[in-house]
Amino acid sequence: MSRREYKSSDYPLPYVIENVNDWPIARLSTDKESFVEEVKARVREKITARFNTSKALREELAKVLYQERIRLTGKPWKADPPDEAKFWSSIKSKLIKIEQLDSNSTITETELLEEIIDRYANEIVGDFSPRAFGFARAILPQFFGRVLAAAPGKWFKTFAGNVRTIHEKIPITGDVEKIRHLSTKGTVVVVPTHFSNMDSIMVGWLLNEMGLPAFTYGAGLNLFSIGLLSFFMSRLGAYKLDRRKKNTVYLETLKLYSTVALQRGAHSIFFPGGTRSRSGQLESKLKLGLLGTAIEAQKLHYKNFPEETAPKLFVVPCVINYHFVLEAQGLINDYLAETGKEKFFRENDEYSTSFKLVRFIYKFLSASSSLSVSFGDVMDVLGNKVDAEGESHNHLGQKIHVKNYFMTNGELKDDEQRDAEYTKILGERIVENYHRYNVVLTSHLVCFTVFELLKKKYTGYDLFTLLRTPANEISLPYAEVTEKVNELKERLKVLNEQKEVQISPELRWNVDKIIDHGMRNINLYHTASPLTKEGDFIGTEDLKLLYYYHNRLEGYGLEKLI
Amino acid sequence: METRPVGVIGAGSFGAAIANLLAENGPVLLYERNKEIAAQMTRDRKVRGFDLHANIQIAESMEQVASLCYLIFPAVPSQYFKSMIGDFSPYLRADHIMIHTTKGLHCDFDIETADAKTLRLKDIKTMSELILQETGIVRVGSIAGPNLALELMEKQPAATVVASRFDEVIREGVAALKSDRLQVYGTRDILGIELTGVLKNYVALAAGAMSGLGYGENAKALLVTRGMAEMIYIGHALGADKRSFLGMAGIGDLIATCSSPKSRNFTVGYRIAKGEKLNDILASLGEVAEGVRTVKIAKLIVDHEGINAPLLQTIYKVLFEDLTMERAVKMLMRYPVSDDAEYLNL
Repeated sequence: MSRREYKSSDYPLPYVIENVNDWPIARLSTDKESFVEEVKARVREKITARFNTSKALREELAKVLYQERIRLTGKPWKADPPDEAKFWSSIKSKLIKIEQLDSNSTITETELLEEIIDRYANEIVGDFSPRAFGFARAILPQFFGRVLAAAPGKWFKTFAGNVRTIHEKIPITGDVEKIRHLSTKGTVVVVPTHFSNMDSIMVGWLLNEMGLPAFTYGAGLNLFSIGLLSFFMSRLGAYKLDRRKKNTVYLETLKLYSTVALQRGAHSIFFPGGTRSRSGQLESKLKLGLLGTAIEAQKLHYKNFPEETAPKLFVVPCVINYHFVLEAQGLINDYLAETGKEKFFRENDEYSTSFKLVRFIYKFLSASSSLSVSFGDVMDVLGNKVDAEGESHNHLGQKIHVKNYFMTNGELKDDEQRDAEYTKILGERIVENYHRYNVVLTSHLVCFTVFELLKKKYTGYDLFTLLRTPANEISLPYAEVTEKVNELKERLKVLNEQKEVQISPELRWNVDKIIDHGMRNINLYHTASPLTKEGDFIGTEDLKLLYYYHNRLEGYGLEKLI
Repeated sequence: METRPVGVIGAGSFGAAIANLLAENGPVLLYERNKEIAAQMTRDRKVRGFDLHANIQIAESMEQVASLCYLIFPAVPSQYFKSMIGDFSPYLRADHIMIHTTKGLHCDFDIETADAKTLRLKDIKTMSELILQETGIVRVGSIAGPNLALELMEKQPAATVVASRFDEVIREGVAALKSDRLQVYGTRDILGIELTGVLKNYVALAAGAMSGLGYGENAKALLVTRGMAEMIYIGHALGADKRSFLGMAGIGDLIATCSSPKSRNFTVGYRIAKGEKLNDILASLGEVAEGVRTVKIAKLIVDHEGINAPLLQTIYKVLFEDLTMERAVKMLMRYPVSDDAEYLNL
């Protein structure tokens, strides 16, 4: 099959499956009851196999209870059900009865486990309503159309105007046709970078523009406390993820939820960074939990079906690039405050009410910023590239059978440690893709250059001292910046030819235009400008933001040219 | 489940020893690229003067090994490893497990002309990295330990370590190898196991030289202990776990190679100390002394990373820059020292 390129005017593409009710996610929703029952049964099976005596299980349940009671001492989230405390104290008293070998206890450890699993599974489960989907589909283009329109001031016109114009700027690169085709042959797992809370909506919408059936994805429970967002998310395939709950039963329920959904063919979005990139860097280490469920689902397909008919999973990395990130300020502060420390997730108050959300969207819409989304290699669950028909080829180009990865001595074997290593391998391939398919925007380049020049100018300062330097004391001669931007631009072009990175078309302009474009775009949103120009000098009003945007180009060895 | 034979590639001294060990636990398919030697082994059932175990069959081709075996042990010297694995690659699949036995490093560049400053560490590869690069196999392991081939052939007791990031590979390796005369340990630190197997070569060379100078056990103990410390520093800089250097494949192998006049590296050092020229020694040895190559590569690594490695630097000077052994010992003894066993703090 020859590769088909789509022009912007082709979007939205026709759906690969016309009838929304035939989409895997719609079917999952129709069969919701049996789906949840399957998840619950498998979690129970897994936990009881791991803790295979009643004593071991009892101890594990006590651990779960302990962790949950600690969580309850913290500030509850709005999305938390009101009967949390009641539920867990009832679990506690039942557990005590069991522990005391109370003859009045009518409940066993396994039953108690089932009760907990049931609560978790019903909390996590998402829904998909074709009606809500139809409604969202009608309004989202208006929403994103504005984001994609280039010139400031035009937003109201676009918002009220012709929907068609919106599609003129669809910034998708990658083998869209292949992804479309393979979505009909197997299950697609899109793995995007994560910089902003807008990401899931953005990716979801773009996949829809590509004519793919709706995807399911895990959204932070905190986002469900916002009425408007919650209304749509809970009806558009999002399931709930609570990062505060780290106990085994919860994590297993979450993993099996994802595994069973994948087994049932639900295309999924995983944000393997786990959370938004705090530093502004591309993810280099992934949280692998949910990614592992893709490998598990693939293995189970080989267990349940003959090799020729076993459905295949396709992993597609995806890089989202914004000129600016709305949450940048908060993210980089978090990063600097918490560098190197695992932190407790606090409820995010960037837009904790519908009002704040609308304000957020308004800002998002009224700022002109180009964005781009590029899809990387379509891969199997081991990170091997697949061809247009979904056949895997290893790095040597040899056609291979994915099933072999799960075979030992001629038999399909379960091995958690092996699969965890496979997940790491897949994670490495995804990270490579992030770097290769990252699109360098003018703002990234200018911020990187300026910050690196500052680092050089203030040699001897450590990062934190440099970041604390009063911004008004900092300036660099414009000529020095242009010279280095030019050098780095040339280097990026070479890297681009070597397929190590993508560059936006503006990077082919002359240096003055690049700097101007980069500064204009990045300063649009932030009140304190990351970059300023006064006379013949470049300065900044916010060093931390400058650092944040600079980080996006870490990892390409560009600093050596400064 | 049917019992598939375990494959061994290469009937050199170590390949033959490992094939005989494996054969105690089940059928073995041994491949030898030299057709004459293969035919002779088939005919006489002898390898290097020792009897071939009855469980060993001589393979017709690499393809046959790949199609019949799931577990394969390549035992080929490092300089032939890449071409061997390249020839083998078309037949290998992701359900093969490969545990190599080769102590050596492969460089994607010419080590004679390489510049330590500009080289890229990723162009220096361990044998397991080479397998990953050249084949579709993922489940790769390595074995190393105090395993002098001759003693293994004589059925003396010994121990070895199977290393792999996959527990499954360790399990398969242990099951295939262990016997009443071979203890088999496991570790996930494959990089450490491969590096210690390589780096010990230059320490063995130095031990041979000490012996050649007529020094006794005190001097050798000093050398081995500090040699190991130096290996730990180099390994640590490359990302290996120091424990591997303190285990069977580290200190264990070091003691064996440094005490054995049977080892090639020891012999080279010994004869250097007796005043022979390196080229003459290498010409007369016929077999490869991996240690000489190791010294060159390790020096590139040490210079690239800026690691303090006085022993290595001195041996390099002795081998390639005409430093006399007497002066070398003097230099090393004058080297400032501080805390004992300080490498444990790494």
